[in-house]
Amino acid sequence: MRNQQFALTVISDKAMNQDDNYKSEHSVHLEDHFLTRRQFLQRAGMGFGALSLAALFGEGLLSNIAHAEAEATLLPKVPPFPAKAKHVVHVFAQGAPSHVDTWDPKPALTRMDGKEIPNMNGVGYGSPFKFTNRGKAGIEVSEVFPQMGDMVDDLAVIRSCYTDIPAHEVATIMMNTGSRLVRPSLGSWVLYGLGSENQNMPGFISLRPGGAPPGGTSNWQSAFLPGLYQGVSINTKVPTLNQLIENIRNPVTPLEEQRRQLDLVHKLNEIHSQNLQKEAQLESRLEAFEMAFKMQTEATDAFDLSKEPQGIRELYGRSAQGNQMLITRRLIERGVRFVQVWAGGWDHHQDLEERLPERAKDIDQPLAAFIKDLKQRGLFDETLIVWGGEFGRKPTRDRNGGDNPGRDHNAKAFSTILAGGGVRGGMTYGATDEFGNAAIENKVHVHDLHATILALLGFDHKKLTYRYNGRDFRLTETYGEIIKPVIA
Amino acid sequence: MKTIPLLAILLLANYSRASAQELTPAQTDFFENHIRPILADKCYKCHSTLAEKIKGGLLLDSREALLKGGDSGKAIVPGDPEASLLIKAVRYTDPDLQMPKDKKLADDEIAALEQWVKMGAPDPRTATADQRKWSDNKTNHWAWQPIKRVAIPEASDSDWCKTPVDNFILAKLDENGLKPNPPADKRTLIRRATFDLIGLPPTVEEVEAFVNDNSSDAFAKVVDRLLASPHYGERWGRHWLDVARYSDTKGAPRRNTEDNVNPFAWTYRDYVIRSFNEDKPYNKFIMEQLAADRLPSTQYNPASLAALGFLTTGDHFMGMQNDIINDRIDVTCKGFLALTVTCARCHDHKFDPIPQKDYYSLRGIFDSCTEPKIEPVIVRVTDSLAYQSYARQREQLANKEFELESSLPKLRRAEDREAFKMAQRDLRETEHAISELELTNPAAPSRAMVLEDTMKGHDSPVFIRGEAGNRGEIVPRRFLQMLSAPVRPVYTNGSGRLQLAMAIASPNNPLTPRVMINRIWLHHFGAGFVPTPDDFGMMSDPPSHPELIDYLAMNLMTNGWSIKKIHRLIMLSSVYQESSTDNPRYAAIDPGNRLLWRANLRRLEFEPLRDSLLAIGGILNTNLYGRPVDLRQHPESNRRTIYDFVDRANIPDVLINFDFATPDMVTGIRHQTTVPQQALFLMNSPIVIDLARRLVALPEFVDLDDDTARLKFLYERIYQRLPEPEEVSLGLEFVTQTPLRDDNSIAVASNLDEGKKRLGKKNRQPPFLNKKRAPLTSWEEFAQALLQANETSFIN
Repeated sequence: MRNQQFALTVISDKAMNQDDNYKSEHSVHLEDHFLTRRQFLQRAGMGFGALSLAALFGEGLLSNIAHAEAEATLLPKVPPFPAKAKHVVHVFAQGAPSHVDTWDPKPALTRMDGKEIPNMNGVGYGSPFKFTNRGKAGIEVSEVFPQMGDMVDDLAVIRSCYTDIPAHEVATIMMNTGSRLVRPSLGSWVLYGLGSENQNMPGFISLRPGGAPPGGTSNWQSAFLPGLYQGVSINTKVPTLNQLIENIRNPVTPLEEQRRQLDLVHKLNEIHSQNLQKEAQLESRLEAFEMAFKMQTEATDAFDLSKEPQGIRELYGRSAQGNQMLITRRLIERGVRFVQVWAGGWDHHQDLEERLPERAKDIDQPLAAFIKDLKQRGLFDETLIVWGGEFGRKPTRDRNGGDNPGRDHNAKAFSTILAGGGVRGGMTYGATDEFGNAAIENKVHVHDLHATILALLGFDHKKLTYRYNGRDFRLTETYGEIIKPVIA
Repeated sequence: MKTIPLLAILLLANYSRASAQELTPAQTDFFENHIRPILADKCYKCHSTLAEKIKGGLLLDSREALLKGGDSGKAIVPGDPEASLLIKAVRYTDPDLQMPKDKKLADDEIAALEQWVKMGAPDPRTATADQRKWSDNKTNHWAWQPIKRVAIPEASDSDWCKTPVDNFILAKLDENGLKPNPPADKRTLIRRATFDLIGLPPTVEEVEAFVNDNSSDAFAKVVDRLLASPHYGERWGRHWLDVARYSDTKGAPRRNTEDNVNPFAWTYRDYVIRSFNEDKPYNKFIMEQLAADRLPSTQYNPASLAALGFLTTGDHFMGMQNDIINDRIDVTCKGFLALTVTCARCHDHKFDPIPQKDYYSLRGIFDSCTEPKIEPVIVRVTDSLAYQSYARQREQLANKEFELESSLPKLRRAEDREAFKMAQRDLRETEHAISELELTNPAAPSRAMVLEDTMKGHDSPVFIRGEAGNRGEIVPRRFLQMLSAPVRPVYTNGSGRLQLAMAIASPNNPLTPRVMINRIWLHHFGAGFVPTPDDFGMMSDPPSHPELIDYLAMNLMTNGWSIKKIHRLIMLSSVYQESSTDNPRYAAIDPGNRLLWRANLRRLEFEPLRDSLLAIGGILNTNLYGRPVDLRQHPESNRRTIYDFVDRANIPDVLINFDFATPDMVTGIRHQTTVPQQALFLMNSPIVIDLARRLVALPEFVDLDDDTARLKFLYERIYQRLPEPEEVSLGLEFVTQTPLRDDNSIAVASNLDEGKKRLGKKNRQPPFLNKKRAPLTSWEEFAQALLQANETSFIN
């Protein structure tokens, strides 16, 4: 203990200079801040107040002492700017929903129904659905979203989104990672930047009702960010809680007995580490075992919908998406940082009139219920909700449709809905042309959406970087403009 | 402004001098008063090194940059305003080229610029600091200097210095007033060496033999034995596979025409393991991986064709050829040279002297290569019944494939969407059946995933901003400028891959041996001389021991590029044999232990962790090589983890949780994160529980008379050492207590059920003992606790 005291006093001035010998002229990086809590306290020789002090001292101090042994953690971190939202729920309408049938009414297109539209190489397909003014804001919403229509005063409807390539897999990965190459996903960046509020649960969870979506793990990958920022993908259709997370339950040892065993493990470790340098790795491993122990009950508990009262179950509806949104609420309540919810099936090349309302119905009640439920729990204002697909659809009939038409892919226009933490409700933003073929006013690229999401969480998207192979990477590459009007 | 014409006339006399360095005061004044303000106010926002985003690749903030021009070409032709794009742009006469974008310049400003160009564009500005740095890199940055023959520093402690490596280490420690730790005890040392070289724990007998061997070369004997073990290749081959972003699948296959699986990727994996085992000279290892098909030696050893998997086992990016080539350039340049050349796909490298043209020189090489539809067979085929049966099935599938492929164009012409889609689906299924057959049928002859040169090599145009549709100048196929002599040979031999391979493996290339030395060092010490093994560029930290890295690099080349000799040299040094004991005073001075005053505590990666669990349990299958086993489908498999089927699109959670190298990018060093999921694996996974039961069921354990002897047995078996008295009393106390039992809380592990079902069906491997759901006994729990404790997962 005396030795350690000595080490602490030396470190505060001398070791920092020592480290400078090894430092190149790098600017400061977030990854340098990632000491484990113990390591930080040990190094800095401060009490627990040190964590908040870290923010005051700013980057210089931390980067110096951390440089040699930077280590990743999930401990919660304070973003550089005041945050409007603390959690993100990204409901991914994979398959590319038709915007002109849902959130972007086009009367001109209705007039052109069945007629050749000039320069569009096709016959117009007016939406078969009725749009009505909803909410105080009087925003026109399609009849396929009756309950979400009720919530429109809480929604920012962005009608001018566009992306690069109208192919599902590429565009889905693009929406989730901002790139076609191997890049960290939005959720991984958020977790890297903010850590998690619950150390007994994964901080980034991806929920899917069954099989993997196009692009698979690319959509929740951490790529060159450390693996602990990767999303944990969970199939919400597995029959038992034990199957949700690998090795989450012990098949043979009861919890109380496992506690006794774990105490023994800690004692064994204590003996083992007597002669070793106080390694951050060993210390965080001790914490990891304790977390794992708690996770066994807490993580499975979060997925156990039988603990919800009947009323709440009915509010969300007893469907696959109802279950997913209810699980999502339980996760957000427990401090999970980022939840990705797969709610796909929107690829309507034909039979759109019949099939699109089915998909809308899947998510309409659960998502509206989710918003109401978050509100009654005081979580709505701190949770950013995003609903949208990877691109939009054409105003013309897809030639495969025949008598039961649908629409083909369209990267030039689609709608995305934002709600909750920091979002100005009851507004529309941007516009497509008179037929909905392309975004023309206040265009919003995928990078702009990402920049805005990070801004709502308290980050400058240009500064949330990670150094990998000599370059500072960021989610928005060299692009991205914040959509200021949607921020309340 | 009225003065311009007069001034211009005066200056025109000096026209010829304008391009020289020295400007007359009048020229400088003209520039400062009339030109710089326009450039700074109206142009720098998008066209300077300080611009947030440089537009059109054009910089206007130095004379050099101005003359170099941007994506559309040279900005000015000194003396000729009519031929200067800059003048054309500010005149707003061409609707596609109007600058500044927001507002046309005033007429007198345009006139000033015209005059200035007519004068020969006298410009006092030199390249900005950043640009200068770029051109000076070549001479300054340590990594691209020739390797120097360095003098071995004098030893302050000749007893400690067992090899020249120690002299270099000790010199640095001396400089900083540090002394090396005393040597590790023999048990620790043999455990460290064994995990390092073969990725497995030593056996009890091996430890005893070493501890009792008092000869001076006792440790050398251990190192030599381990280097001769065929398991050495499995350990070090895996390190290389991390670099080679190895996977058994294509990630995103070409839609409708390809199956996701690479049924013969494993022949590359085996080639790598074999190469390490044979101590293949590293330069030959490089040559084969880039150009085995072009080497004369391949004639006598067709198996070396499998080496080309280095290039071909990458992602297929849905068939996007430019991305596939990019991946090949990336793995080649990062893997062998630690250069981030792919940064130059869209623009000149921002930090390192790699012009965009260099990227396209390499692109030309790889664009002149193709993969044959059917890979060549690399083994002698024996005409057995099994082979005949395989061949019949293969032929049927090939016929079906051919029919379907030839039907597609007809169906497309007929615009019969339904039939077309159906045929496509059938084709996909056929492709899948083919890869299944090739992957799983033991009689299917091994093939190599080769790359071949096309009939005629061709050069690539530069893609401006990396956009394939935006073609610029055509650049010859040749090596990187920064690593070449001033006159760079142009590659004309086929694609040029062979010449590229020769340039990389050349002893005159300082990066190749340095990069490999750093990779080897890093796996012995937990950190390299350079902390970023895949990037030695300007943005990397300088090496901790620049002279030592050169000494070892030179040593590698002069010893026939033998990697095993480098291992031996390093491991027989005192620095490798230090203890990991703490020294708080030193820790304060050198917290990262970059000077190596002690050994680093290192965590085992997932592969040696799982392999050692199987070895401790006595059930490790020590067979080498062969087709992959999907451990997800066969959790009961006891093969070494390197033989697991790696699906890059679907890496199992357990591997992700233990920081497995993402097979989509070059990974010289894995992350080391600590997450609860790792603990859950040791606490709850069937493999660990099974091992605990197995250890306690061993006859050697059961036959022991008393509990202390049993404790000793478990400690030796798991940690290769005897317990301390403190540990004995702790253990005895634990095992004599009755476990708490609560039958209600015994959960049923569904994955066990699944495993059991599969076992019932296929019955390939001995079943897990823990099919029994009986709770663990105290002894079993104790054994599992030893497996969970840090000592199992760390080498110290």
